[in-house]
Amino acid sequence: MLEQLTDLARGPLLKLALIVMAAGLLRVVILQIWELGWAYGRAGDQVVSWPVIVRRTLAWLLPWRYWGPEARRLYNLTSFIFHVGIIAVPLFLAGHVALWDQELGIRWFVLPPVVADVLTVVTVVALIGMLVGRGVNTGSRMLSKRQDWLMPILCMLPFLTGFLVAHPRFSPVDAQVVYLVHLLSAELLLILVPFTKLVHIVLFWSNGASSEFGWRFAPGAGEQVRATLGKEGQGV
Amino acid sequence: MGDSDVGTAPASEAERIQSRLTYNIEKDRVVTEDLPRRFLEVFSAILKHSNYRQVLDNYARVTARCANCAASCQIYQATEAPEDVPCYRSHLLLDVYRRHFTTKGILSGHLLGHEPLTVDKILEMAESFYRCTACRRCNLECPLGLDHGLVTHLGRYVLSELGLVPRALVVSTRAQLEGETRNTSAIPLPAILDSLEFLAEEIKEDKGIDVEFPIDKEDRQFIFYAPVSDYLMEADTLMGIALMLKVSGQQDNWTIGSQYNDGINYGLFYSDWILERCLVQIKEEAERLRSKEILIGECGHASRSAKAFMATYGGGPDAPRMVNILELTYRLWKEGRFKLAPDVIPDRVTYHDPCNVARSGWIVEQPREIIRSFCKDFVEMEPHGENNLCCGGGGGTVSVDEIRPYRTGVTGKSKAEQLVATGAKYVIAPCANCKKQLREVIEDHKIEMEVVGLHDLLYKAMVID
Repeated sequence: MLEQLTDLARGPLLKLALIVMAAGLLRVVILQIWELGWAYGRAGDQVVSWPVIVRRTLAWLLPWRYWGPEARRLYNLTSFIFHVGIIAVPLFLAGHVALWDQELGIRWFVLPPVVADVLTVVTVVALIGMLVGRGVNTGSRMLSKRQDWLMPILCMLPFLTGFLVAHPRFSPVDAQVVYLVHLLSAELLLILVPFTKLVHIVLFWSNGASSEFGWRFAPGAGEQVRATLGKEGQGV
Repeated sequence: MGDSDVGTAPASEAERIQSRLTYNIEKDRVVTEDLPRRFLEVFSAILKHSNYRQVLDNYARVTARCANCAASCQIYQATEAPEDVPCYRSHLLLDVYRRHFTTKGILSGHLLGHEPLTVDKILEMAESFYRCTACRRCNLECPLGLDHGLVTHLGRYVLSELGLVPRALVVSTRAQLEGETRNTSAIPLPAILDSLEFLAEEIKEDKGIDVEFPIDKEDRQFIFYAPVSDYLMEADTLMGIALMLKVSGQQDNWTIGSQYNDGINYGLFYSDWILERCLVQIKEEAERLRSKEILIGECGHASRSAKAFMATYGGGPDAPRMVNILELTYRLWKEGRFKLAPDVIPDRVTYHDPCNVARSGWIVEQPREIIRSFCKDFVEMEPHGENNLCCGGGGGTVSVDEIRPYRTGVTGKSKAEQLVATGAKYVIAPCANCKKQLREVIEDHKIEMEVVGLHDLLYKAMVID
């Protein structure tokens, strides 16, 4: 039974999760491009300085660019490390690359096992750090919604179980169960990507352009708004 | 006047709304009946005709609620109130957008019965969006690149169509666009002309040369738009500009229009409709006099609104070009058109970056290079440049006199600390908005310092052959 479930999770479920994620992300990307195009078409000023947008977007990736005395240094650094981990480990862990090869027929660079282990532990610690950071900061604590607390925990699950899969001697429960939890939690995470804030995997890259286009107003819009509201010809 | 807009509700409702706000509104114009429904109607009309949808969709999807922005917000740093986290402010509007204008929100609203939009929520926005000075410093700190200044701008735009906007801004704008005087300070043209004549005489007396403020000259390179309040409050700046243009051989290259000469554009702060109308006026006056370039005086928001939106509302690539006076002065100085006596100002001087010209990195180094050349003791505030702190009166709040205690005590608090730390005698602030605010900060915090424009000091330092 457990074995069959594991096979299901390794094969069809994984593919399904990847398809849902890819299709969901594709939908969001297409919508975003379409909306940007729409805004661009109506903008009175269509001269766009792409190098500036690209530079600004890349700068947001760095944790240290605007570290002033008041910045949350530790939180920013923690978040940066977490992002390195959550990108590198799922993609480049030897076991995963073997799985990609077997199930999807693609191969690429493999992380040395020690590096993968260290990165896994560091990522879990970073996730705990991010949760603590969110909790102790009045602003973020108040802003946070349910998904902001649950997402880091869900992100942690594949890392914790993954570590136990690689080192079964630390595992308090049956390795097969741990492996199943690892697969299912990772798949749940993949499926949720397009529907939660994790969608910034793709939308982060268009955020600079989006803000820039947000300031590209449509000429005549103000007057049209007034007309729609029945205020045509009225003064200030 | 729309009949559903004005005067249909009992005065007490308008009073109640007013009592919830720290700034004065026009009580006879605020929408009192069915406010939530009207709010959604306005929001919907703006989404339909303007370009905000894509950016709201994007922000609503990605926002991570990390509150990193709070670290960069001088208001939050002063109050430590969760409501002053920039992201919280943006969420007031984003939540309405999500709930009422996205499929997911509408569906889940029906299924889960989310709380409807309330008058309280709207008034919270009305207050919150005017606590923000729209300095956009948080944009640098947000790891996802949300521009909370843009959301504040949109939020204020929606609210303005409901009459929820500081009276001070509307009254000035009305005088500018629909009044006799055609400027925000309601100064009659003869008074402006008189004061210019007087300034020319002053210059003659001080410097011994004839300087003219050219009115309605056609076919000049530059048509000059000062923030009109300069004619009342910043005579030294205007004299500095006129003298600089004269000395550098530009006397016959510039003019001031008699029909429209106010660079101020409160539309940038609260309404796209106003933003467009002001810029169209500027463009038409330039066309009337066949001027080639729009020259904006020492004023941050006037410069940014012309720089960022003249192409939008002035015909795209065919729109007249614009230049800020600091850019022009820098160019002429670099070309050697005028000389400054080195070390003519022995006292310590610091420089305040107006957010609207510095945040984007547009005008940061140019004025500093000039200042260093003639001021012996120039010190920086920390932080400065692109990462500067707002004077505390940005986003139009400086014009709202009734919130002065908030402006100098809360938003201007860290600016006051910065000023004190420099130990400077002069703070140069090339922006009418910042000048007024900094003077009030200095007064309320009892700091020994004088606020000047860059051209005020150039006036003293310029070498006259």
